Amino acid sequence: MSSVEVNELSVRAGSKVLISDVTLSFEPGTWSTIIGPNGAGKTTLVETIAGLRRPSHGSVTILGEPLADMNERARALKVALVPQHPVVPSGMSVYDYVALGRVAHHGLFHTAGAGDRVIIESVLERLSLVVFRDRDVVTLSGGERQRMVLARALTQSTMVVVLDEPITGLDLRHQMDMLELMKHEVRDCGLTVIATLHDLTLAGQFADRLVLLDGGEVVLDGTAGTVIRSDELAKRYGMNLRVVDVDGSDVVVPVRQ
Amino acid sequence: MGIVAACTVVALAVAIVCGLVIGPTSIPTWRVVGDIFAHVGVGHDTLTSTQSTVVWTLRAPRMVIGLLAGSMLAVAGGTYQGVFRNPLADPYLLGVASGAGLGATFAIIDISHGNATPTWTPLLAFVGALGAVAVTWLIGGRSMRANTATLILAGVAVASLLTSAQTFLLQQSNAESITLVYLWLLGTLSNAGWSTVWLVLPYVIVCIIICVGAGRALDVMSVGEEESRSLGVPVRRVRFIVIAASSLGTAAIVSAVGLIGFVGIIVPHIVRLLVGTSYRRILPISVVFGAAFLVFADTVARTVIAPSELPLGVVTALIGAPVFVIILSLRRPVAV
Repeated sequence: MSSVEVNELSVRAGSKVLISDVTLSFEPGTWSTIIGPNGAGKTTLVETIAGLRRPSHGSVTILGEPLADMNERARALKVALVPQHPVVPSGMSVYDYVALGRVAHHGLFHTAGAGDRVIIESVLERLSLVVFRDRDVVTLSGGERQRMVLARALTQSTMVVVLDEPITGLDLRHQMDMLELMKHEVRDCGLTVIATLHDLTLAGQFADRLVLLDGGEVVLDGTAGTVIRSDELAKRYGMNLRVVDVDGSDVVVPVRQ
Repeated sequence: MGIVAACTVVALAVAIVCGLVIGPTSIPTWRVVGDIFAHVGVGHDTLTSTQSTVVWTLRAPRMVIGLLAGSMLAVAGGTYQGVFRNPLADPYLLGVASGAGLGATFAIIDISHGNATPTWTPLLAFVGALGAVAVTWLIGGRSMRANTATLILAGVAVASLLTSAQTFLLQQSNAESITLVYLWLLGTLSNAGWSTVWLVLPYVIVCIIICVGAGRALDVMSVGEEESRSLGVPVRRVRFIVIAASSLGTAAIVSAVGLIGFVGIIVPHIVRLLVGTSYRRILPISVVFGAAFLVFADTVARTVIAPSELPLGVVTALIGAPVFVIILSLRRPVAV
């Protein structure tokens, strides 16, 4: 069974069509990245999959259950989101921030139990955040902060994780680290990851599958290699792109016209 | 945290004793304290019957209504600051004050002459307060797209409309009415008897429990509406419930004692500076601290220029502002 089914999905904002008739399905243990130029509808698509936007037509089904039938709590147990611009509430400790991921499990009227704490500790450990646990969240650097947001999503213990531009503002090494961390989680826990990325090279290297979106519609959908090497890609971005093989990895290079 | 909580409880005990002991009729503290114990079954009466009347019929209900008003306004303010993620939020944000003001004005100018506030003033104030918040909610809070900024702006619009209606009514009325309305607006605990206490008590207890219970939800909501929804919090429902509870409790208090300013905005901030940004700590401590603060302020209000009284709102600001400034300069910047 697919873990996420997007069926004839359309999303509008007023009269503007953001997503138009998109049908996709995502398998467990795979990483899919949505690419496309600015305004293609990437964020709208992943936000709708995460349940933050209502479809104007069509449906999203997570692990067999339609999103529309779930309340916030049920949804938070199935899909976690790493937002593009996370709000970082000053005064909160890193531990408390990461622990927010457990709220859907223990509820708003209970505190985190022993089981919750084990999960929080394990995620802090895996993402090398243990040393920061008592720090105020605003004192973290960009890379540490992004790791902390990822940690919060992982403590939700969902099978589906949605990442909206998770490496924005990070330097090259932190971009790689962040994506490697996530790749490990996909491999070790069989997660379904749906991400949006601007960097086509990284998108190609980390995703099992790429979906090229333009004007709210799916233009290309296939393995990373085929999408990256397609002529359509350059056309949709409206520029010259060259794909170079470096030690067996595809590198996408923009070329001045 | 533990130390702050303990200090707040001690402050509350001191405020309660001050509220019962201090006044024009001088009664020794030990007698009053002894009588408090006698009332809960320890020892025997230590007051004469006149003293007992002064303490238990005049001072006690006033002190109790002070506790209720202080705790309700403080917790409502803290809750609003959380739900709107806005440090300037106070319990009157969504129109409670202007609605109550219009209701009270309506009741007071209705009597063409005389120098007493009519008995139905609280009822009209209560109805006005809840009506105003309901209208604000219908304008700014119902639709799916509405966010907290829409709601705050709707509150501003409703408040200005009601205030202008009130001003018009006042301008059409006579000087005595204006004086009575003005006195009412300043807020005072001096009219409070046990009947007021019993009338207000159920609302305040229920509303305080709901607000304090929302602490964890408000903590999660500090990451914003969208992210808290993705973490499993039904943001719109939580917002509706805590606004309803805060408004109901505040309306009950305002209708009983008038508009007491400053407590609702300053107490939660003082508490936040002392215990950090978690609403699970801020809200319960605000309940206790607000109660102690208002009883203490009222004791000052009725004693410094006895036999007449200072308006309570003036005293809360006179004491609260310097205390707040001192704490603010000692601690980190305000974060909500």
